[in-house]
Amino acid sequence: MTKKIFKSIVLAAGGVLCASFVIIMGCLYEYFTNVQSRQLESELSLAAAAVEESGQTYLEGLKPEQYRLTWVDQNGDVLYDTQSDGKTMENHGDREEIQEAMRNGVGKSVRYSTTLLEKTIYYAQKLKDGSVLRISVSGVTVWFLVLGMLQPVLVVMTGALILSGILAGRLSRHIMEPLNNLDLEKPLENDTYEEIAPLLNRIHKQHQQIAMQLSELQQKNDEFAQITQGMTEGLVLLNEKNRIVSINPAALKLFSAQPSCIDKDFLTIERSHDLSGAIQDALLNGHSEITMERNGKEYQLHVNRIESGGTVIGSVLLAFDITETANAERNRREFTANVSHELKTPLQSIMGSAELMENGLVKAEDMPRFVGHIRTEAQRLVTLIEDIIRLSRLDEGSEMPFEDVDLYEAAKETVAELQTAAAAENIKVTVSGERVCVRAVRQLVGEILFNLCDNAIKYNKKGGTVEIITGREENMAVISVKDSGIGIPPEYQARVFERFYRVDKSRSKESGGTGLGLSIVKHAVQYLHGSIDLRSTPGEGTVIRVWFRL
Amino acid sequence: MMRSRFDEQLATLNNELTQMGAMCEEAIAAASKALAMGDVKLTEKVLSLDEEINRMERMIETLCLKLLLQQQPVAGDLRQISAALKMITDMERIGTQAADIAEIITFLDGRTGEECGYIRFMAEAASQMVTESIDAFVKQDALLADTAIERDDEVDRLFLQVKASLIQLIAENPKDGGYALDLLMIAKYFERIGDHAVNIAEWVLFSMTGVHKGETG
Repeated sequence: MTKKIFKSIVLAAGGVLCASFVIIMGCLYEYFTNVQSRQLESELSLAAAAVEESGQTYLEGLKPEQYRLTWVDQNGDVLYDTQSDGKTMENHGDREEIQEAMRNGVGKSVRYSTTLLEKTIYYAQKLKDGSVLRISVSGVTVWFLVLGMLQPVLVVMTGALILSGILAGRLSRHIMEPLNNLDLEKPLENDTYEEIAPLLNRIHKQHQQIAMQLSELQQKNDEFAQITQGMTEGLVLLNEKNRIVSINPAALKLFSAQPSCIDKDFLTIERSHDLSGAIQDALLNGHSEITMERNGKEYQLHVNRIESGGTVIGSVLLAFDITETANAERNRREFTANVSHELKTPLQSIMGSAELMENGLVKAEDMPRFVGHIRTEAQRLVTLIEDIIRLSRLDEGSEMPFEDVDLYEAAKETVAELQTAAAAENIKVTVSGERVCVRAVRQLVGEILFNLCDNAIKYNKKGGTVEIITGREENMAVISVKDSGIGIPPEYQARVFERFYRVDKSRSKESGGTGLGLSIVKHAVQYLHGSIDLRSTPGEGTVIRVWFRL
Repeated sequence: MMRSRFDEQLATLNNELTQMGAMCEEAIAAASKALAMGDVKLTEKVLSLDEEINRMERMIETLCLKLLLQQQPVAGDLRQISAALKMITDMERIGTQAADIAEIITFLDGRTGEECGYIRFMAEAASQMVTESIDAFVKQDALLADTAIERDDEVDRLFLQVKASLIQLIAENPKDGGYALDLLMIAKYFERIGDHAVNIAEWVLFSMTGVHKGETG
């Protein structure tokens, strides 16, 4: 801008100088030419009068230095010339000024030299005898004047231009200063030219707009951060070069990375071949998923390509913890396999007996034994199916009525139920302790007590004891079932609550258990929000304690 | 402009190295698992990984040479590239030795070396060393590199124990002589892998500090 101002000032100064030079030259020249012509005219009329008076003798006596006189007769032949011999001169009848004088009495013309630097002015007057007297003077043209004045004019112009240059520089700096000092952060607070006020207003508005958009963006970012912070799934956003754009705490934990990994390559936090392959795959095909094991947990990772306007701008990686799902799936598969096996065993046995009877291979006296066998196996099946139904009901978590249950009374009832079984093994079952009332499902409490006592009797020694003690411990109600039985080896203690798990597989048949008892107990206790604890010493016996909140 | 392109190429180099390192980790982990489970199928995976590691070595080598010729790096950049050139050699050796282990495992007829428990510890320690040295490279962590270097003593100690227990095995069961020798070879390969991991860790330190082992200043 300074340059532009400077240029226009210098140009204007130069232009004005040139124009005034031309105009002054023109005026001056015009003035001098006029003066000269008037002089010539008066000179000519004097000479004409003199020639008419005294003829050629006047001309001969005249020795003019400034001008030249030529006398021409009616035919144009030169009679006399003050500078050359008139006889030798050519006919002047065709000259413009002479022809004009012959016609009008006076004539005038101007002729330039070939260089244009000199011109000759001619004036002619017709005398009374019809001859013509012509006066001429040579003078310089305007171009000669220009050439002559060029040097001083150039000096003046150069001086003027330098001066105007300096002035222009100062001026433009002066104009620009307030513009350079504008505070664009606060455009409206500037005190400057009113011409740029609209611009400042505009800048102010844009400032506001940008601030608004920034805060909106910040808000969106915060929202996004809030959402991803709380997610239990790991979320990683990658750009097209696989650099981490965003990573949430769950993903940081999963890849055991630091928050400083943002903007670094994903390989720096996870370099497993499978995962980088999956990301490449997703970038090519849009989606890929893999499962991987990390920190003892199983994760399923979904990788999706992110596109914007047809170009790939990155990928998003989502990691789900599927440990429980995978475990549940495994448990379900095992359970199904176990159930099928357990159901098949008594059925095989029934089928075997029935086939023997069908083929008449059973003697009449053995018949009751076989029928009895079929009945017990069928009974086993029924018990098994009942247990499975109970378990599945507990699994479903269907609503059951909660009521006040007296644990001591419930224990008594259970013992009464099992009395015959205990008597058969000569086992003494006792109930002691205080009455404790808990809020629970009566049926489930009965279930728990029955299964615990049943096990305590089944896996006991002949003539052994089973003690059931009910009581309080701090603010909990406790049922403790203690037997003097065979006990459970430590390595199996954790597994006895699993479905169909039996410590001694060979004993299952004779004891008639389904392998579901303790599993039902565990589930029932869970349903009642209680806890269970097992302590056992092989050969000495087992204590199982169940706590309920009062 | 030139510099940003160079930076990009250096980042590519880093990524490729990380991937190659990850493959080495995978190869040795698969070899250890194949030994522990007597799983011959896993050995195939080790062999194919070894092939890929070799291919990767060629690729990184070409990239390094291209960088050296075209960019004429100096100072830290030169260190990084020359260290990369050295590291890939060690990584390639790790891959090949994992493949050698896998090959021996196929001759073991499903036996898992359980007679000599130390060999499992060795496999684990060597595997960990490789992971640590690659981690040190990825995170540019001098402490991790030092940890990896120190762990080599443990691997060497374990190798001596393996040797002792194998001598005992041969003494007790002369028939198992061939088997014991195979196990000894495997142990030796693990020991070598540990040495290569140490080399990698040392090159990581060199690329960070400009000082290579034993040198001062």
